[in-house]
Amino acid sequence: MRRFGFAIILTLLVGMIATAQAISIQLEGNTFKVAGWTPPASAPAAGWPSLLTVRAGSGDVPPMAGSYAVERGVLVFRPAYPLAAGVTYRATFQPPGGARIERTLEGPHVNATPVARVDHIYPSTDVLPGNELKAYIYFSTSMSRGEAAQHIHILDADGKPLNGVFLPGEELWDPKVQRLTVIFDPGRIKRGLTSNEKMGPPIADGKRYTLVIDREWKDARGVPMVDSFRKTFRGGPEDRQPPDPKQWRITAPKAGTSGALVVDFPEPMDYALLQRMIQVSDAHGRIDGVVATDHNEMQWRFTPRAAWKPGAYRLVVDTAIEDLAGNHIGQPFDVDVFENVTEHITTGTIDLPFNVR
Amino acid sequence: MRRSALLVGIAVALCLVPTMVLNAAREAPVAESSVGKVQLLSASQLAFGPNGVLFVGDSVGGSIVAIDTGDTKAPASAASIDIQGVDQKVAALLGTSADQVLINDVTVNPASKNVYLSVSRGRGPDAATVIIRADNAGQLSVVPLENVAHTTVSLSDAPQSNTSGRQNPRTQTITDMQYVNGNLMVAGLSNEEWSSALRSIPYPFKQAERGTTLQIWHASHGQYETAAPVRTFVPYTIQGQPYILAAYTCTPLVKIPVSDLKPGAKVKGVTIADLGSGNQPLDMVPYAKDGHNYILVANSSHGTMKLKSDNLESYKAIESPTVVDVAGVPFDRIPAIKNVKHLASFDASHALVLTSAPANLQTVALP
Repeated sequence: MRRFGFAIILTLLVGMIATAQAISIQLEGNTFKVAGWTPPASAPAAGWPSLLTVRAGSGDVPPMAGSYAVERGVLVFRPAYPLAAGVTYRATFQPPGGARIERTLEGPHVNATPVARVDHIYPSTDVLPGNELKAYIYFSTSMSRGEAAQHIHILDADGKPLNGVFLPGEELWDPKVQRLTVIFDPGRIKRGLTSNEKMGPPIADGKRYTLVIDREWKDARGVPMVDSFRKTFRGGPEDRQPPDPKQWRITAPKAGTSGALVVDFPEPMDYALLQRMIQVSDAHGRIDGVVATDHNEMQWRFTPRAAWKPGAYRLVVDTAIEDLAGNHIGQPFDVDVFENVTEHITTGTIDLPFNVR
Repeated sequence: MRRSALLVGIAVALCLVPTMVLNAAREAPVAESSVGKVQLLSASQLAFGPNGVLFVGDSVGGSIVAIDTGDTKAPASAASIDIQGVDQKVAALLGTSADQVLINDVTVNPASKNVYLSVSRGRGPDAATVIIRADNAGQLSVVPLENVAHTTVSLSDAPQSNTSGRQNPRTQTITDMQYVNGNLMVAGLSNEEWSSALRSIPYPFKQAERGTTLQIWHASHGQYETAAPVRTFVPYTIQGQPYILAAYTCTPLVKIPVSDLKPGAKVKGVTIADLGSGNQPLDMVPYAKDGHNYILVANSSHGTMKLKSDNLESYKAIESPTVVDVAGVPFDRIPAIKNVKHLASFDASHALVLTSAPANLQTVALP
């Protein structure tokens, strides 16, 4: 009987000691909590970070930024930012006068199934002027910044990668990181510049090229694309003629219909600028409608929201609209100022009238 | 002294004074002020103004925020910075991996010699915008963006370009900012039209204040002209007169007299050097050493250059594409300072560099 009682007391004692030492670090959602430990009424002199820290990754790195609080008698640490996939977190709790506790936790998992692809590259045409200025790459979903230089290639006809084709520097994305603008190095395009003379323009007349976008380019989740993308094209002659609206053909729709207003250009125009630099107005103001392009950006189509009323309209064209070589209305991309003495560059619009009957 | 073949090429080259047109009618800055949370969709360029005011350029949001950092105390002793693997340390501070951190710009608070970094945490559209302070003791901390006094100016009020209601895909990426004599000068590059923008915005920002329209051209015989965007620029004094030295995509170095930068004015700039193409000038730091003037230039692919700028007034405009021997600004290459991604002025005898592979943030003696 005495041994039994003694055993009970011993078990209780061991149980109490064990309970007293069952401090653990828990992760609930994005919050770290110290369970099994009662924090003092206020933080120690050295602050809560002297007791509890969490570090991301390995090595001698600073602890994670975040905030501490005592909630319902439990010390918690909330990182300033959500835990990241693929990162290992090391949480360390040092109770005063007790043994240090460490716990290693993994960040959230991410679905690693590739979904991203290149939807389209503009210009659509496969003959690019020797002084092509830029291209737009449209992805099917948001991508990761900082990967463009290593994942876009131009190959010559033998499949050899060419260097120095694109302008290095900041990546030009739209706010959704879904459309990338790449600029062909203008230093190699402008007449008379050293590299134009020595290396020639990036795209040579009559030569064949392939634009390759690697599958390894990561989307915004960090997952590569479904497939790589290739576009073959041929170099054409350089284009230094400013677009001339007098050469545009306007086909007016019929009154009472919502048929498209069609404008045909003698050359392909810049896809992005076609979306916003041509508008339609009548005497009362701007007409609301939807813009589309066709024929490799040689055609602009405008479908109004409401049926066309008969009368006088005008196409309002921003003179900053560009062709593929960056020439805009009134001025080529580079210009011999002496021959073409323009005291200043005017920006503004020109009107092209048309009637709907 | 070494004249680079590139400079000879300058003679053959040149986009002479690029024409820069600011369409003030389309994009009129509008100011708002508040104490509270700073709204930033992105943090690209940084620049310091007077009294610890940090300007943050938000390319995605199309605005500039001026934050009162309160960081005005001079360092107790000579300051220096040496943080090895700064990308990993910043990533750890933000609870992520180094490949998920992009350091967009680096600047030094001239008052305190603390270093500020504009950082994207994440590489996609939902990346968090963070400003990090690195102090002289090598400690990194997050600069709070809540409950801070700040003012904001909007760069663009361009209308929605797409009637389907989706976010306007057109952005004006801010390439450089400098506070010059009461104005914040902002250079930018559009992701749609090929045009240059150099805005001069008076600070303190005023309500509905219009930026100065700058139109710069140079008409001389046989010279080419193009609207190349400014990539980086610094204020500079030549013969006692204030100038802007601007390095352009393309890539000439142009001097522009500040006194001529009045609203709507047409200003003659003069090209005095070309740094070669296939390269972007990243940052420039003017300094004086041993009684001479220099400008240290970091480039995306041509390495670091030390321009000899004693007599910038003496360099004739580079005008003709057929001149064989050029009178451009000579420079030395500085191979010891390499892999520079960002370069900033630190003090009279040091610059601050952020290198890549490995990513180190450190002060270096000006060569």
